[in-house]
Amino acid sequence: MKRDPLKPKGGFYYYMQSTSGIVGAILLLFMVIVSLCAVFGWLPHDPLEQNVEFAMQGPSSNFWFGTDEFGRDIFSRSLDGMRRSLTVSVSAVSIAATIGVTLGILSGYLGRWFDQLIVRLSDVIFAFPAILLALAIVSTLGNSWYQTSLAIAVVYTPIFIRVARGPVLTVKEMDYVKVTRILGFSSLRILRKHILPNVTAPIVVQVALSLSWAILTESGLSFLGLGTQPPNASLGLMVSEAQSIAAFAWWALFFPSAFITIVVVGLNLVGDGLRDALDPARRSS
Amino acid sequence: MSNPLLSVSGLGISTVQDPRTLVNSVSFEIMPGEAVGVVGESGSGKTLTALSILGLLPRGVAIAGGSIIFNGTDLTKADPETMRNLRGSDISMVYQDPMTALNPVMKLGRQLLEVIESHEKLDDGSVARVEAALREVGIPQVERAMESYPHEFSGGMRQRVMIAMALLLSPKLLIADEPTTALDVTIQQQILALVSEQRRKRDMSMLWITHDLGVVANLVDRLIVMYAGNIVEAGTVQEIFTNPQHPYTHGLLSSLPSRTDKSRKRLTSIPGVPQKPWLVGNTCGFAPRCFKVTAECTASAPKLVGSLEKSVACFHPMGDK
Amino acid sequence: MSLNIVNVEKRYLNRASGTTINALNGVSIKVEVGQTLGIVGESGCGKSTLARAVVGLEVPSAGSITWDGKVIDNKAKDRLKSHHSQVQLVFQDPYSSLNPRQQIENSIAEAIEVHGLVAKDKITDRVTELLVMVGLDPDLRNRYPHQLSGGQRQRVCIARALSAEPKLLVLDEPVSALDVSVRAEVMNLLIDLRKNLGLTYIFISHDLAMIRYISDVIAVMYLGKIVEFGTWEEIIENPVHPYTKALIAAMPDHSIIGDPTMLARTLEGEVPDPVNLPSGCSFHSRCALAVPSCSIIAPTLREISNGHLVACSEV
Ligand SMILES: Nc1ncnc2c1ncn2[C@@H]1O[C@H](COP(=O)(O)OP(=O)(O)OP(=O)(O)O)[C@@H](O)[C@H]1O
Ligand SMILES: Nc1ncnc2c1ncn2[C@@H]1O[C@H](COP(=O)(O)OP(=O)(O)OP(=O)(O)O)[C@@H](O)[C@H]1O
Ligand SMILES: [Mg+2]
Ligand SMILES: [Mg+2]
Repeated sequence: MKRDPLKPKGGFYYYMQSTSGIVGAILLLFMVIVSLCAVFGWLPHDPLEQNVEFAMQGPSSNFWFGTDEFGRDIFSRSLDGMRRSLTVSVSAVSIAATIGVTLGILSGYLGRWFDQLIVRLSDVIFAFPAILLALAIVSTLGNSWYQTSLAIAVVYTPIFIRVARGPVLTVKEMDYVKVTRILGFSSLRILRKHILPNVTAPIVVQVALSLSWAILTESGLSFLGLGTQPPNASLGLMVSEAQSIAAFAWWALFFPSAFITIVVVGLNLVGDGLRDALDPARRSS
Repeated sequence: MSNPLLSVSGLGISTVQDPRTLVNSVSFEIMPGEAVGVVGESGSGKTLTALSILGLLPRGVAIAGGSIIFNGTDLTKADPETMRNLRGSDISMVYQDPMTALNPVMKLGRQLLEVIESHEKLDDGSVARVEAALREVGIPQVERAMESYPHEFSGGMRQRVMIAMALLLSPKLLIADEPTTALDVTIQQQILALVSEQRRKRDMSMLWITHDLGVVANLVDRLIVMYAGNIVEAGTVQEIFTNPQHPYTHGLLSSLPSRTDKSRKRLTSIPGVPQKPWLVGNTCGFAPRCFKVTAECTASAPKLVGSLEKSVACFHPMGDK
Repeated sequence: MSLNIVNVEKRYLNRASGTTINALNGVSIKVEVGQTLGIVGESGCGKSTLARAVVGLEVPSAGSITWDGKVIDNKAKDRLKSHHSQVQLVFQDPYSSLNPRQQIENSIAEAIEVHGLVAKDKITDRVTELLVMVGLDPDLRNRYPHQLSGGQRQRVCIARALSAEPKLLVLDEPVSALDVSVRAEVMNLLIDLRKNLGLTYIFISHDLAMIRYISDVIAVMYLGKIVEFGTWEEIIENPVHPYTKALIAAMPDHSIIGDPTMLARTLEGEVPDPVNLPSGCSFHSRCALAVPSCSIIAPTLREISNGHLVACSEV
């Protein structure tokens, strides 16, 4: 049998065609390696070890990113902070995406009272500014890392409900879904094979974007003193702590901020790449 | 014989990036008072040709060559101000979808007055003029219509409003891009009758784009047949309908179910699918589907030769009946 | 075996405005197996609503639709094994009726698989057979819909409908969205399939020329009702209802060319709003023959000659 020149290639092939996707993937890879270093403790210094002798030193061969006012190594702290920020945001987004997407798809597909209920509930949550709501939840629940994740998850769940519900409503009315009903397929099959694949693109893109927002939210909470607690490090907390000394030690502010930027930009680029790769119609040209 | 009102010669249109030819060296003329129809498949370049006359090509698409002489001026070289003055007053256009061409949040009367305002000063007579224009296209209860929004009208009524708007400043040339395609057959018939009537009354020239040959048979004087970015045949409606020369025109006409054939014999079909204009290159674009194809057809592109009454771009035309 | 549509009504409630759209207002028709029924009528007259009701996508507000004596409904569980998959629908728009993420092979194979219509190891062969049957190159099997032309997609849709081994195929404007030069091919295909598979068709269109070409009997619809019904020759050659006459007058005619009087306005006014149905005969506002009683008494279908029915009191 001769090979069809248009025989489809995998999504990975198309992802690699997109420049933003590649750049984003490299940044993402960098972040993961950095966090793994922290997980396995491959750090040049103990991130919590104070050494007043070396306080407020600029970047050097010993302290690559310099030290803060307690003489702690900013490089080690940044890596550890990255790990903590990613842990919190990844678990928050996982929870939010799982619950939100399930509710959103069911709500769009089932319609009627269930849909009304879900939409009302998410409207209520939407009515509060994200950071305020997270603040309120953290201050009631407490501020260990999983409680912070939970707070961020609550704030982000309605976003996923919306992101999943909208496309389901559209796709449900498409002729090709009606055909499956005439052909006598079960609801489960229709949802799984004909609706879900056509709504994954916006959801996956949303996961990438939400991760970057979640990192910012976690940073914001820590910055306000409610997320990660001293002496532990998170990127947001480091930025907050560096404020008072930034005038004398730019590095204390610069490196954690640069890490946040890399994570956020990287995830956004990955989102762009996925958007292109997941749409078969965009692949044609 | 008088000079043509519009003379398009060698008009080429292509995309701006990685240039792809969309319309390839199109030439035709419209005499004063003459109605010319353009037929062709989806994607053959009908809309782009029309839009280039108005200087309204979409972003990313540009004129690649040739000239468009309207009343003595070359529109391809005219400055934006000249084009703006020309649009609406000397040349106006009716689109396929009247909903997208009308402003949904502005009352119809206001929208029509704006057309006058953009070319001349409004005066006491302006409102009466708009009302007369609406009455002329058969809008009932004109005073109420002036105060209505587009969504309050049916598709057919909106298209009438569009026509009234296009005729408001008595243009010399009316361009219509499939204005009846979205309408019902009986409404289409009403619109065709209306336009035909107005055209004769005003002695206006017309360029009528359609993919439906049946629409133009009794509406226009001459026809242009486009295929994959080229004009493959042009001539009077009589000639094209009774004596088509290009195998595509011939195939198209014989593929239509007859209205009188009792036995309902098998339709003659044209195998294959239309070619993309930018893949035609220096060949005949219809060659892959043509039953008369020879080596010659893929070696070079046939030129459109003949007279105003009858011309064809084909190495092996059908021959006279 | 026959399809029996009895007094079917369908109303849509618009929650936002609180209005009711009367899409179907009492449609009765019987289609014998092997027959092709053409349905013609203007936009919004309820053709697609009727099509959806016939395949069970829509539950009529009143009346009944039976195929082979059994009521058609859209309960998936019932459809699975029963004879209901004997009724299939082909939509107008070949672009929206294929799953963009499914290779066409899978689109066609899915119903066969789900219903176990052929043995597992024979599915590939069956798909090939169906592709050939609709005139597609089997090498196209791995393509995605966007890699096909409109005509090819419509063939895939027909193949998919045939995969369920239907007896009755409802074709809702199957060629309207296609390029003029490929319409004839799809029409020929439909004619061949009808002959080879002994299919029954309901062919919906607003293009009378196509309806005339393919139908055995024709129903003319106006505002959710059938106003005239008869054999194709009767309807085309000898139309009786003033609305049918107007439709036929508006039918493109290539035998008369360059005669502007052919464009004479055949019908004034527009189709009334299905939200506020006119009293009496729904056509009276546009009818040249209307008399005062037309706006009071709604005419019913009556037989004027053998098998030729018309709903008009003035003819
Ligand atoms: N903005 C654009 N950018 C790139 N290509 C375009 C653009 N607009 C149109 N084209 C391409 O140019 C070609 C001619 O398009 P055009 O709209 O003139 O066709 P048409 O004959 O009017 O078709 P239809 O009957 O579908 O309206 C097509 O292949 C189309 O894809
Ligand atoms: N799901 C729906 N909800 C509300 N109104 C509907 C729905 N479907 C159809 N209608 C209305 O019912 C009427 C009949 O529609 P239908 O689609 O059956 O017409 P049609 O004859 O198929 O028209 P067309 O030729 O434009 O396809 C229209 O007024 C339409 O607006
Ligand atoms: Mg066009
Ligand atoms: Mg319809």
